[in-house]
Amino acid sequence: MYDILTYIGLIMIGVGAIADLLAAIGMNKFWNFYLRLHAATIGTIWGAFVPIIGASLVAIGYEALGPYRWFMAGAGFVTAFLILILAPAGSHALARATHRARIVKVEPCIADHIDESMCVKKGGNK
Amino acid sequence: MIDPQIIVLGMAALAALVSVIATYLAILEKNLVRAVVFSAIQSTLYAFLYYVLMAPDIVLVYIPVAVGLYPAVVLILISKTEKEEKV
Amino acid sequence: MDPAMINTFILYIIPIFIIAFILYIIRALSGPTISDQVLAIDAMTYDIAAFLVILSIFFREPILIGAAIVLALWIYALDIYIAKYLEGKEMGE
Repeated sequence: MYDILTYIGLIMIGVGAIADLLAAIGMNKFWNFYLRLHAATIGTIWGAFVPIIGASLVAIGYEALGPYRWFMAGAGFVTAFLILILAPAGSHALARATHRARIVKVEPCIADHIDESMCVKKGGNK
Repeated sequence: MIDPQIIVLGMAALAALVSVIATYLAILEKNLVRAVVFSAIQSTLYAFLYYVLMAPDIVLVYIPVAVGLYPAVVLILISKTEKEEKV
Repeated sequence: MDPAMINTFILYIIPIFIIAFILYIIRALSGPTISDQVLAIDAMTYDIAAFLVILSIFFREPILIGAAIVLALWIYALDIYIAKYLEGKEMGE
């Protein structure tokens, strides 16, 4: 029973580590702030939410921790839930402020209905 | 099997080294908002350093002060005065 | 399940996380704009919170997990401060 939880948890931790590495590479390879938001989403949901859930599942089946493992699993689930709420809200606030303050132009752009002057069309005034 | 002590000391050394770079850039930076951001990098790395050195009570006190209150106070001060540093 | 296998697995996971943190820090130190830097710090700190939970399993110290909640909650405040400053160029009112 607990062995299945441990295996699932270890697989989730591994998936989280790989997603974290991919997000960090993407954070360096993308060339625009609005494109880097994709990498940040991968890094926060797949790279933080999934391994914390996996670590909590591992902690439930980890007998060496004693009775404190239930405390550890509960705190892990609370942390994962908070990250699931807070990370998209923070990214959204940052993107909205950047677009409103006109710091970064929307570079691969098809249509921008909020502010037409921010949109840089492909092959246009580049 | 590597000794966990070596891993702890290696991660602590790496975090300390990068925090020195962040502090150096924060001192040299002319744009004060960017200096606050560099200071936030240093605060986060110090929180990780305290954790790795097995002091979770210090972490619980250090994070609200250095990540939460200090950038807020400094940003309020910057917004009341000027954005660029004049030598 | 024996604890040695879990520790060995986490031992192979730790370098991947460290490489990811170094790449995030490169972007956080050299971002062209303030938004890029704050976004990189944000993503890096949520990943550090996940790493702290994994390390508390590795060290077998359940008390250490309280730091992860605090770190995940307060780095959100930094996001909101910088967003509010960029949007209104003022704070506190």
